[in-house]
Amino acid sequence: MKDGKIAQIRPLRMDKKYSLEEINPWTLEIDGHKLYSGTATTIPPLAITYKNRVYSKNRVPYPLKRVDWDPNGERHPETRGISGYERISWDEATDIIASEIRRLIDTYGNYSIYVQGDGHGEDKTLHACHGCNTRLMDVLGGYTCQARQPDSWEGWYWGAKHMWGMDPVGQQSLVSNVLLDTSKNSDCVICQGCDPETTPWGWGGQISSKISYFWTEIGLKQIYICPDVNYGAAIHADKWIPVLPNTDAAMQLAIAYIWIKEDTYDKEYLDRYTIGFDWFKRYVMGGEDGVPKTPKWAEEKCGVPARQIKALARYWAKHVVTTCHCNGGGYIRSAFSHEPARLEVALLAMQGLGKPGRNQMKLMEWNLFGRDDLNPLPHSQWHSTMHAAYTGHALGSGLEVFIPQTLLPNAIMLPEGEKLTWYGHTVNSLPREDQFLPFEYPMEGKSRIHAIWTDTPCWSTCWNGGNRYQDALRHPSIEFMLVQHPWMENDTLFADIILPVSTMFEQDDIIFSSRCGENDMVLNEEQAIEPIGEARSDSEAVMAIAEKLGVAKELWENWCYPAGLGTLEDGSPDYYYGEPSFETLKKIGYVEGKADQHMPYEEFLEKGFLPVPFKDDWQDDPVGMYKFLEDPEANPLKTPTGKIEFYATGLAENFPDDMERQPVPHWIEESPRLHERLTNERGKDYPFLVVSNHPRFRVHAQHDDCIWLREIDMCKVTGPDGYKYEPVWINPIDARARNIKDGDIIRIFNERGSVLGGAIVTERIMPHVISQDHGARVDAIVPGTGGLDRGGANNLICPGETTSQNAPGEITNGFLANIEKVDVFALAAQYPEEFGREYDPADGIRATCRIVKGE
Amino acid sequence: MGKKVFVVNIARCNGCHNCQIACKDEHCMTSWEGYAAEQPMTGQFWGRIEETVHGSVPKVNLTYEFKLCHHCDECPLEQMAPEAVYRREDGLVIIDPIKAAGKPELANACPYGMVYLNEPLGLAQKCTGCAHLLDDGWTAPRCVDACPTEGVRFGDYEDFAEELEGIEPAVPGGHVYVLNQPKRWVAGEVYDPEEDEVIIGAKITIQGQTDGVILTTESDDFGDFWFKQVEAQNYKIWFEAEGYMSRELSIDATDKDGHIGSVPLYRL
Repeated sequence: MKDGKIAQIRPLRMDKKYSLEEINPWTLEIDGHKLYSGTATTIPPLAITYKNRVYSKNRVPYPLKRVDWDPNGERHPETRGISGYERISWDEATDIIASEIRRLIDTYGNYSIYVQGDGHGEDKTLHACHGCNTRLMDVLGGYTCQARQPDSWEGWYWGAKHMWGMDPVGQQSLVSNVLLDTSKNSDCVICQGCDPETTPWGWGGQISSKISYFWTEIGLKQIYICPDVNYGAAIHADKWIPVLPNTDAAMQLAIAYIWIKEDTYDKEYLDRYTIGFDWFKRYVMGGEDGVPKTPKWAEEKCGVPARQIKALARYWAKHVVTTCHCNGGGYIRSAFSHEPARLEVALLAMQGLGKPGRNQMKLMEWNLFGRDDLNPLPHSQWHSTMHAAYTGHALGSGLEVFIPQTLLPNAIMLPEGEKLTWYGHTVNSLPREDQFLPFEYPMEGKSRIHAIWTDTPCWSTCWNGGNRYQDALRHPSIEFMLVQHPWMENDTLFADIILPVSTMFEQDDIIFSSRCGENDMVLNEEQAIEPIGEARSDSEAVMAIAEKLGVAKELWENWCYPAGLGTLEDGSPDYYYGEPSFETLKKIGYVEGKADQHMPYEEFLEKGFLPVPFKDDWQDDPVGMYKFLEDPEANPLKTPTGKIEFYATGLAENFPDDMERQPVPHWIEESPRLHERLTNERGKDYPFLVVSNHPRFRVHAQHDDCIWLREIDMCKVTGPDGYKYEPVWINPIDARARNIKDGDIIRIFNERGSVLGGAIVTERIMPHVISQDHGARVDAIVPGTGGLDRGGANNLICPGETTSQNAPGEITNGFLANIEKVDVFALAAQYPEEFGREYDPADGIRATCRIVKGE
Repeated sequence: MGKKVFVVNIARCNGCHNCQIACKDEHCMTSWEGYAAEQPMTGQFWGRIEETVHGSVPKVNLTYEFKLCHHCDECPLEQMAPEAVYRREDGLVIIDPIKAAGKPELANACPYGMVYLNEPLGLAQKCTGCAHLLDDGWTAPRCVDACPTEGVRFGDYEDFAEELEGIEPAVPGGHVYVLNQPKRWVAGEVYDPEEDEVIIGAKITIQGQTDGVILTTESDDFGDFWFKQVEAQNYKIWFEAEGYMSRELSIDATDKDGHIGSVPLYRL
């Protein structure tokens, strides 16, 4: 801090305040090469540039009301996303909000209010976003909850779980000491749709980069299979195998075909640890459909030469291989993503999954859910969590009445009298069996939704079919949309009331950091600067509304002393930690998280952070799936049979007619609802597959206003009009055929609409494929289906459909589109108002361009 | 006091841009009296990452190089305006933000393009090595502090003497050393089109057409072969595999890496 402003954002040097013994870093040593966890955090550029985000000219400066939304008269839902805003006071805003909440509850009941916490905001505890309003709505008697589906690990959740259990995520969850095991025993890691130099950045540090370099040093071969030379492949790959987006399943089947044909798989393992292999073998060899899944068959579908598939299959059969992932990417977020996920498990099992050096490892979110068995790195001496002080939506709660996030547009636009049905609570941490529970909307006796109350909103830029969502937000049944957000971006522009929210630098908070890969730690996140403009924290905003509703005391008690915590015999709170307040809540988090067993609270506050030392004997923790391997009957997996199921008995029993997710994993060419392959009829009109990865220079839709990122060459392409367009990678062969040159502005389009982008003609992408990172800030020229977006927010034109018939996951990658060069000046002449919005290339569109009154 | 050096290791640079951005975090929105005026919010890159894409599908890799002021022993700025540009005892070259104001010509004097012009101030600006931090007890500037992979390090020459043995600074008289500067590679795949199989263990020989140097390797499990860190020049390539007719081809690796693509070999 300097002069009341943020001065420096830099790695945290634990050794400034703690001794080496207290930090107890680990060193992994192989053949004299060392990987050291260090005494400082390895932060990503997204953190260092955050000063730009805090001081962004796109901050919401004060409460705003949409000018043509009149709660006492015409509400004009049809102009959401188009009309401007006027300044109102916090007092006026909270009056209107409280009155709307009362009116909605009186008219339709509590369930007419849809609570949406999108989950892509700052991680905070006392001032949490991500459903900051749920506790108030609990106090008021309930709400309809947005259930967040497993958007980061769709295929693993909807597919792999049915094969190997591995709750809660569906990726291999028994991975203790797998980093050690892989480094010691593997010959090779296969990174399929995995980018350790990009995806980890939003959730942690850069230890995955250090690991990748270490693997190179010790001679561990790194094979990258992906359509693009992603940022990991660019520097770590010993071998890049370009594969068409979402066709990995074809290649995997062909690998299995070679192993079966050449008898190079582990039959003893299959006998002891798996069931149903015969069914799989029958399908692979063509017994079921008359089509042997040969490498030549796969080549047609996935674009990898048959000889390379055979070479990979034979290499894998002869070597010890672990597969690596960093959650997302097209591999696991496309149509039918459960199939490549299951097929990867099949291949791993055919080569003795869980034996030394043969695992699946995730290179990020290290201590997810605070579970050691999910963490392949050396383990910590103790765990904590600040959940007792968390004011946001507790994952898995509020699901009595809910709508899956992926189905929200369908729900809003559902014709009166019809029902929307689906399976599963669709929450990213629930067990496999949950996927078989049937649900419907509207629920019996419950109202449809008539209002949306959201914080950190980014549905249109992160989920499936944003243009349809923009249609839904303008549906007449939505009478009120309330947004709390620091920035004037994306879905915020569709709100009727916008409340300005402060960033973590403007709040006093506490958090337990458990995913960076260096030491876990408790952090005293003191307030660094005064709030910008009239911003308040999400909690403060919700409390201001609670005050107007006359339930402030109840909300404070709900936050600080929920049932079970410090309650007297008669049920009344004893205020054990003190009168309810943020100060009290902070202490509650620390003490209930049992961090005080390691350092008194006052000392912690003074020191500012408390690192959790790594275990001394971490090397002795047994590896991953050792128990299952020792005795699979005594230590079953969480599948119905306890074994790895090549034939998924749960799917067979519950969805016997589902042709898109059959008991045995298949190649699904298309379905009645999904035609997203080059080989489908639609591929003639839309001859490109779009890679829309997690962005290198953003966290999903965040950071698009950061000056020091936007000026990086690969972050934006400056058009002839001076606007910074979102880059689109095009292979030189495709570019030549369409007369597209570096720096040209192009339109990516399909039936769902168009987004613009700036061409980068590059060998980093294979032919027939284009790549544009997802999450660019929406700059709608024409909102809604068939619309046009200048910002390049390609989620707007991805499929609105879900993963498959009975799997309501998102499809946000690997979809069909076409491209053409555009004349931006002609477009500007056609849409003068929209192209003329206040804009600075340095940081993009400004909040003020939407404020038309009371500035 | 020893002379300070920067050691940039291209083999450890993941291109994250932490260095470039940390520099801005330190120098934009803030001036450091006696060391540097405020850096404009955008457009200047006192330390910058430069990216190179090598090869073509499916043999592609990237390298990133962190570039910054070399703090040259014979800095032309210092020679042009000795009253405004000075060298510290530790070797860092500083443009005095007061004395150099109104001397915009200094911005064009650096032959390496590492000095920028702050137009409103008429001031040439560049990397200070975060001298203000070093004088405050720091051991390294912000770019080095932020690097997660030791892609850039900083210290006395003696600290790195062993590693730098036989290595010249990136520019004559400069204080930046670059390790693992990429040369060229020559690579490709060999396969049997009739069998639709890659050919493993084929002997591949290249000869530089300028230096005459001969190198050999074998194709790997994927039929791939790589000659890494070879000189930029034209090469002749010979392919030999048992049971196959030999071939001779050539590849130009003068201006870019030599990706010869997929080379079919035919049965005898």
